[in-house]
Amino acid sequence: MSRMNVRMKQKLNEVFFVEPNDLGAGFLTNSFRKITAYLKVVPFIFIIPISLFVSFFLYFVLGRFLIKLVTVLQYGF
Amino acid sequence: MDFKKLLVNLLSSFLLIFNRFVGLILNPYKTMRKISLEKDFYQPAIIIGIIFLYFKFVYYLRDKVYPATLIYLLFIVNFLLTVLFFYFLSGIFSKNKKEITFRSFFFTFSYSLLPTLIWFLTTSLLYIFITPPRSFSILGKGFSIFFTAYSLSILIWKLILTYLAIRFSSKQNFFRIIYMMILYLIWFVPYSILLYHFRLFRVPFI
Repeated sequence: MSRMNVRMKQKLNEVFFVEPNDLGAGFLTNSFRKITAYLKVVPFIFIIPISLFVSFFLYFVLGRFLIKLVTVLQYGF
Repeated sequence: MDFKKLLVNLLSSFLLIFNRFVGLILNPYKTMRKISLEKDFYQPAIIIGIIFLYFKFVYYLRDKVYPATLIYLLFIVNFLLTVLFFYFLSGIFSKNKKEITFRSFFFTFSYSLLPTLIWFLTTSLLYIFITPPRSFSILGKGFSIFFTAYSLSILIWKLILTYLAIRFSSKQNFFRIIYMMILYLIWFVPYSILLYHFRLFRVPFI
């Protein structure tokens, strides 16, 4: 039982060792919490579709410049 | 006996790195919080060691202007400059200076190098198998869209990990962290241009 208490205490210390974010206004803090909740667990579910959408958008906006940019990036290592 | 102990420590740290790597993909918030409390120095040493191997490998693909070890030492300087910058800045902002530790910054920033390593490694491998320049054909356009999406995904992941690294190490709020990142970019962007000018790094490894 005491070992469980120690583990529980350790876990609580780990969870609360940073203060929760407060952005000043209530609606801002709430929106921030809602958005970041999606990024805390398996963020790639949201990151991959967003990246694909942005890259298609960039292709339609920039056209051939994007292809040149990719060539430059491929030499970037 | 000591060698055996070292080997066991290294292997267990390697397994922990793999575990944390999967954790940073599936559960970045919780995993980075655990990393910030980490005390096993074998882990950042292994990550930085893997990066050394990467620089040795990529030397044969680059223009060979500078030796791989020199580029690697420069990466170490860049990395330490970044970690020290955020550490000292957090010291200025923090009310309770005792809770800010260099160790925490060092561990979290070491782990946030993993997306960078993955991007550089895959770009190097793609350079071998799908050599640039990209053409304007359908395949060329398709690959360009895929590569942009892939690079963006890694960049967003990297930004999330960097934010979490600063958050758990400095214990500052969102606005302060954004402010710190802007201050960092103010000197790091001209510094990167300088590195590009001297053909040391095209894309900064950070």
